[in-house]
Amino acid sequence: MSRIGVFICHCGENISRTVDVEQVAQAARQMVGVAYACDYKYMCSDPGQTLLKKAVAEQRLEGIVVAACSPRMHEKTFRNAAQGAGLNPFLCEMANIREHCSWVHDDRAEATAKATDIVRMLVERVRKNKKLIPITVPVTKRALVIGGGIAGIQAALDIADCGHQVVLVEREPSIGGHMAMLSETFPTLDCSQCIMTPRMVDVVNHPNIILHTYSEIESVDGYIGNFSITIKKKARSVDMAKCTGCGVCMEKCPQKKIPNEFDKNLGFRPAIYVPFPQAVPNTPVIDREHCTKFINGKCGVCQKVCGPGAVDYEQQDQLVVEQVGAIVVATGFKLYDIGEKPKGSAIKGYGEFGHGKIPDVIDGLTFERLASASGPTGGKIVRPSDGKEPKQVVFVQCVGSRAREKGISYCSKVCCMYTAKHTMLYKHKVHDGQAYVFFMDARTPGKSYDEFWRRAIEEEEAVYIRGMVSRVYQKGEKVVVMGSDIAVGVQVEIEADLVVLATAIQPRDGADTLAQKLGISYDKYHFYSEAHAKLRPVECATAGIYLAGACQGPKDIPETVAQASAAAAKVMTLFSKDKLEREPIVARVNEKYCVGCFACKKVCAYGAVEEKEIRDRQGNLIRVVAYVNPGVCSGCGTCQATCPSKSVELDGYTDEQVMAMLETL
Amino acid sequence: MKNIKNTKMELSQETMNVGFIKKVETLSGSSVRRCFQCGKCSAGCPMRSFMDHPPNRIVRLIQLGQWERVLAGRSIWYCASCETCSTRCPNKVDLAAIMDALRKLSWDADGPSKESYVQLANRLFINNIKQYGRQYEMRLAAVFNVKSGQFLKDLMLGPKLLSKGKLKMFHSKNKNLAEIEKIFNRIEEMRKNGDAP
Repeated sequence: MSRIGVFICHCGENISRTVDVEQVAQAARQMVGVAYACDYKYMCSDPGQTLLKKAVAEQRLEGIVVAACSPRMHEKTFRNAAQGAGLNPFLCEMANIREHCSWVHDDRAEATAKATDIVRMLVERVRKNKKLIPITVPVTKRALVIGGGIAGIQAALDIADCGHQVVLVEREPSIGGHMAMLSETFPTLDCSQCIMTPRMVDVVNHPNIILHTYSEIESVDGYIGNFSITIKKKARSVDMAKCTGCGVCMEKCPQKKIPNEFDKNLGFRPAIYVPFPQAVPNTPVIDREHCTKFINGKCGVCQKVCGPGAVDYEQQDQLVVEQVGAIVVATGFKLYDIGEKPKGSAIKGYGEFGHGKIPDVIDGLTFERLASASGPTGGKIVRPSDGKEPKQVVFVQCVGSRAREKGISYCSKVCCMYTAKHTMLYKHKVHDGQAYVFFMDARTPGKSYDEFWRRAIEEEEAVYIRGMVSRVYQKGEKVVVMGSDIAVGVQVEIEADLVVLATAIQPRDGADTLAQKLGISYDKYHFYSEAHAKLRPVECATAGIYLAGACQGPKDIPETVAQASAAAAKVMTLFSKDKLEREPIVARVNEKYCVGCFACKKVCAYGAVEEKEIRDRQGNLIRVVAYVNPGVCSGCGTCQATCPSKSVELDGYTDEQVMAMLETL
Repeated sequence: MKNIKNTKMELSQETMNVGFIKKVETLSGSSVRRCFQCGKCSAGCPMRSFMDHPPNRIVRLIQLGQWERVLAGRSIWYCASCETCSTRCPNKVDLAAIMDALRKLSWDADGPSKESYVQLANRLFINNIKQYGRQYEMRLAAVFNVKSGQFLKDLMLGPKLLSKGKLKMFHSKNKNLAEIEKIFNRIEEMRKNGDAP
């Protein structure tokens, strides 16, 4: 290729301040294969792109080097422009003389020399570029949603309403997640059950939603548009097709004293149970760990009383395979374990707050269950220790959150608001009670949020004390809270009846294992990482996988719902086409030379390398070679660097091209 | 006066005097709970360096119903009522009015600051008005010095003020003392009925 055009951008002043762009253009004109070179103030602007297109036509250019910013920024822009001018877009490359040169150097002469070198290297690369054709892969227009909390429900409903099938997988026996546990929600104080349960019913009634509760993701294969998901349906011991949800089994179960996890162990449930009366599906499940029948085989009452004969002790775990084109991950959060150091965790606990030792020191979610009309006390706020109504309640914010020493340095975002809500709920139920809140900062960004917080103080008369609590201890019937008011500058001591700790939000247990199955990345706290914090906040770096809700980071309900709908919109964008176009920058195996050592398979982070059998006409196996699935390959080049026989190469980055680039230096 | 400035606060419904908060709010006509402790009042207060509790802490102590702590300090008597705080407060807390209210409450409560010179001066001032119908500065200064035990305080200013006619040897009596008395009686009456603070 001998007619290459070089277009040098000033980037306003970003490049031209340090690099003599005219000199670079002049040098470019002397390079082998360059037919045309020019510079312009904003190459990415409309006049800049027109300049490029005009030059292609007038100079009959066959390749393009745009010396400007990073390809991450504008490669697509200029490739589109090249395509508009009638060139194969992959014959257009970017020389990064901004991030790699002008921004990091001060010396004008040296920076100009370096920019010239970068341009020269890219010219060499373009000389050896080949036309590439985008890869198309078919799209299975079905989506998988992992997690049946408000995020998963919202995403599933949105996608299903657009006419696509959705497979919704939930680990617990019922969908609903944490939101179903809440009493009332900020900043409007509408009852969580009233807004949540109808959504749950919508899910189970939706013709496009296939619901798998009490199920987990076993394995994930495939790639964008073509995922194959194996789901483990745990044995429910109740036939969902036969069960009518009458509830007789639960009434008759002799095991009545099993702590109810849904009520944060405040109440009890039988061994055959639904987590809460409004559960969806309303089919009980047998807790085999606590069921007498499974412990010593001596009961069997539920089977005897079940009219439709739905109870089945022989039921086994089942594996179900579902084909989907996109995945929405919405696995939610758990609350930080406050007590002593949780086993096997890098995160430390708070011994000084006595959680787990003092019964009247509870966490925020436990308080929600106490305040909830569907909770174990029917909405009456009482002390877990003696059932008395607490007259002085102390709330402590930032327990675990923003505590670098404990291993969590982030803000959990929702605690300020839900604590303000708790003080209100308490005041509404115990009129002569007094709520105190120890806080470090009040973080209330959000529509009507700060007003809500001020209302808790100014109208509902909660006493907010700026300063952290040092210790909580039992003194007779009371729980003494030692803190300080930093506005007054003195220590504060409160003899409380109940202490509520606003504990940090953490990703669900097993978030890391699921991420490894999905091939998505996560941060040091195990929150899932988005592809770009600002511009791609709901997409994973792995194509075809999207995020919704608190699994990505602490979020409140409005934000979670917004993100879930955004993820659904992304899925719909994907499903709007029958075939998916992908960049053809993928690895290609030269089957002639491949010896089938599969070193490439071992290093491939995306699972793109497959084994391919080469057979003769009679069908006899000759050799097994590597094959790179272009739908999965992300073009990282690790296989190319690893291959001992140099028989796998990345299109656009062949060894020949890279060597030519180096040799020209 | 017991120094309770740095002692621990034990907060409970018994120790937080909600009546005090309400009283201050009624007297001053300003919300106290609205303050979120930004500190702007203290930032601009010209008397801050003389105060034991800065203005923002005064508000905080009222919020917590800690009237002993507020009244034990002398901050309220150093307040010059310049109203810088009220003018600049982002939450429309009228701190100058609150300070007025606190001074009033301190007086009524026979608070520890009752013996302060400020209070003494105020009392003598009002007594003079009651007696003469207008201010009699010479007497005010003399009685103040005697009662406060600072006999020679500002004595050297006397001749200068006298020569300029700012200070009179003898009082000039108001001709309508009966009217003045009526005013005082009316206020007393209003106080009894609860119409005036």
